[in-house]
Amino acid sequence: MTDMPETSVSASPVATNVARGTRITEWLTLYSLSVLAALVLSAMLVETTGGSWRPVLSALIDGSVRAPGRWGETLGAATPLLLVALGTVISAKAGLVNIGQEGQLLIGSAMATYLGFLVGGSGAFSVIVVLLAGALGGALWAGIAGVLKYWRGVPEVLSTLLLVTIAGQAVAFGLRYDWLLLAPQANRGNRNQVSDQVAEGNRVPRVTVFGNEFPIAVFIAVALAVFVAWALARTVWGFRLRMLGRNPRAAQRAGVSQTRYGSMALLLSGAFAGFAGAAMLAGGGFAFGNYRLVPGFSANIGWTGLLVALVAREKALVAIPVAFVFAGLRTGSGFVGSTGVEGRITDVIQGLLVLALLIPPAVIFIRDRRRARSATTART
Amino acid sequence: MGASAPAPAVELTGITKKYGAVVACGDVDLTLHRGRIHGILGENGAGKSTLMKILIGLVLPDSGTIAVDGKRCTIHDPIDAARLGIGMVHQHFSLIDALTVWENVALGDAGRLDPQAVRSRIGEISDQYGLGIEPDARVGDLTAGLRQRVEIIKCLRRDPSIVVFDEPTSVLTPDESLQLFAALRHVVAAENRAVVLVSHKLDEVLASTDEITIMRQGRVVDRRPTAGTAARQLATAMVGREVSLRAERAALGVIAVDDVAHDETAEHEVDDSVAPALSIRDATVIGAGGVRLLDQLDLDVRPGEIVGVAGVEGNGQRALGDLLSSLVRLQSGTVMAGGQQVAAGRSGAMSRAGIAVIPEDRHDSGCVLDMTVAENLVLVNQRRVARRGVIDQAALNEFALRMIADFGIQCSGPDAPMWSLSGGNQQRVVLARELSDQPTVLVAAQPTRGLDVGAIEYMTERLRAAAQAGVAVLLISSELEEIIDIATRVVVIHRGRIVGEMAHHELDLERLGLLMGGAAA
Repeated sequence: MTDMPETSVSASPVATNVARGTRITEWLTLYSLSVLAALVLSAMLVETTGGSWRPVLSALIDGSVRAPGRWGETLGAATPLLLVALGTVISAKAGLVNIGQEGQLLIGSAMATYLGFLVGGSGAFSVIVVLLAGALGGALWAGIAGVLKYWRGVPEVLSTLLLVTIAGQAVAFGLRYDWLLLAPQANRGNRNQVSDQVAEGNRVPRVTVFGNEFPIAVFIAVALAVFVAWALARTVWGFRLRMLGRNPRAAQRAGVSQTRYGSMALLLSGAFAGFAGAAMLAGGGFAFGNYRLVPGFSANIGWTGLLVALVAREKALVAIPVAFVFAGLRTGSGFVGSTGVEGRITDVIQGLLVLALLIPPAVIFIRDRRRARSATTART
Repeated sequence: MGASAPAPAVELTGITKKYGAVVACGDVDLTLHRGRIHGILGENGAGKSTLMKILIGLVLPDSGTIAVDGKRCTIHDPIDAARLGIGMVHQHFSLIDALTVWENVALGDAGRLDPQAVRSRIGEISDQYGLGIEPDARVGDLTAGLRQRVEIIKCLRRDPSIVVFDEPTSVLTPDESLQLFAALRHVVAAENRAVVLVSHKLDEVLASTDEITIMRQGRVVDRRPTAGTAARQLATAMVGREVSLRAERAALGVIAVDDVAHDETAEHEVDDSVAPALSIRDATVIGAGGVRLLDQLDLDVRPGEIVGVAGVEGNGQRALGDLLSSLVRLQSGTVMAGGQQVAAGRSGAMSRAGIAVIPEDRHDSGCVLDMTVAENLVLVNQRRVARRGVIDQAALNEFALRMIADFGIQCSGPDAPMWSLSGGNQQRVVLARELSDQPTVLVAAQPTRGLDVGAIEYMTERLRAAAQAGVAVLLISSELEEIIDIATRVVVIHRGRIVGEMAHHELDLERLGLLMGGAAA
């Protein structure tokens, strides 16, 4: 009740510049320390499981970039990761926690399969139909969460997560009937629950650079990352989305409808995940079902993409290198098996790295908020 | 008091507490006796809460002494206070909705938890005072009145000999208040406790206390037994006489000295025949728990006038500000701006209708702390710096630099994050933005709260200038001096209704105080 004078914060230009310098040093120190700690822990883990860390590291690098053709493979894996992460960045900017990318991606790839075969044809148009069908499927799946949130107030954290399980079941169901997704008997041999292979003319073209082959979806994903970064920072739409995420009440007063902008962000975020699914399906790569939809097709790309966005701290451009690093861990792990160490050890290493990359922003976030709090009001 | 009489329960002597240049409590003496209810009356910011916080150890005084039962002591924290038998029922609830009553009551206990003992103790207290509280009820399901009782149980469970009630009725319905005071009387009469009732409501202080201390601007201005005191006398003492009041403000440099003698505000009174720029009719807003925040409120503001909404805090001022910020829906009634009905609660509807708002809490809906100063300056209207949906960075920068210069905003530049600014400068950013859109209506809710004297003066001048330029200004403030100082017309809000109105030239402080306290006048 008693009004106290507020403490003021010094905000002179000099002070800000000094602060910026120390800030960068601080970031670098924190990041190197925590990554180093993660690497040391990983090495210790490898040693205790009967391996030795040098060959494991070497295999990891071989598998991800050094061996012939490997970095093309890594780029191919990085593409859906980046696309998923971009969608996550959009929803996070609007203050929404969409964690159901795995399911949205799966439904997207199913929709791409279904509509792809329905429309048929070949050439650029057909490829675009397949990709957009994926985006549509992902948007629809995220849209269910959107309807539940803005109509009934169901938190999107819960609904998007639970929809992942339903998506898995739905696709498995679709893969049991040949009028849905299942391939005709003649085309599936002795496999059941597998879709027809995407026709040659419906595939995303692949290019070869220095013996590394990858789908051109890589370029689309990078272009989209640049576009998303620009749209969020420079357009009125991005401005209003950020406003909604940072202060929903100020946004409401300023005319940013929570329902409109919030559902738009959720739909877009699902669309990106679904697009990633379609790109995996039509982009090839043995890791992604070889142009066929199979149960478990999403292969954790949705979850890992979520981690990419998290580590990139909701920055679209930062997500590009982060997606490549995570893809490298994925492709590199295939080679680790040859060293006699369990290949899944890289999952643990990946987990440690994610933690290592998340700790510095968390530390700085908590400290900044404390500072901001003590700086603004001292009112009781 | 004779030598044989028992020592008073609490004796505060010469308590002083300053925050910078602001004296929250200046040389305050207060004596509480067992078996009596002591009312502390005063406006918002009079120092009541600070004094009570000193008593329960939340704030340390700069000087002065405290004696409990005749023994001198220092109270460093609420644990000290509890040891001395001092308990407080806080104005704002500190309950967790998802937990049951007994879980809330047991919260903060040390050692092993004995649910059965806590439950039966709650039952005992509830029966003893007729509170009717079910230990296993979920707090989220209870009405505001019942939650208040849970707070009371939390306090009484430790069997304090001195109980402080801080504005206990601010969230209660009249019926609930009556029940609360019946319980209060019981606590005192049957158990010989000393009770303090902090309030700014005249009627409840008169109805339920034995003696009254009146505070104004951090000082005790009057002390009297309740018996034989009229609401009128209390109102005058609480608000202060006009002359001394304005002189004090002049001394602070808020208004020029010659203004005290020659009041120019009155000259700007606006003719009744002008069509109102803002017209609220029959507005009812229902808040959480079914409380009527606004109850059939009627209000007109004409171009060029400054209408001051006076009233004790918690009587609907926040809801009125929220309504005009598109933040709440109307249960019934209409809001018209410039002759057009505005869809209440639809995002951005009020600002599109030309209603600018300086909100009560700028961090709530007035700015985005994580965005830059430049971005905060175009929070409501990005069109001025955008072409085909793309923000023109150069135009944004230029606009921000102009606003920073025009409004004297102290910051490191347009790209400084909003949180790096002081409160006064954040308020200037809000003001600059809201005035830059040529509004027809300007709502200023508690615009000078928490600002220093210079910033207050600046804000006051800006509001006056806006009115002179033909803007309809609605000033919602719990600082009566501020309203008297700049409003051309004053209305009084009480329990969500406008209960009285007077033009500046017919201002009657006594009547104003009575209206604010809810006494019929």
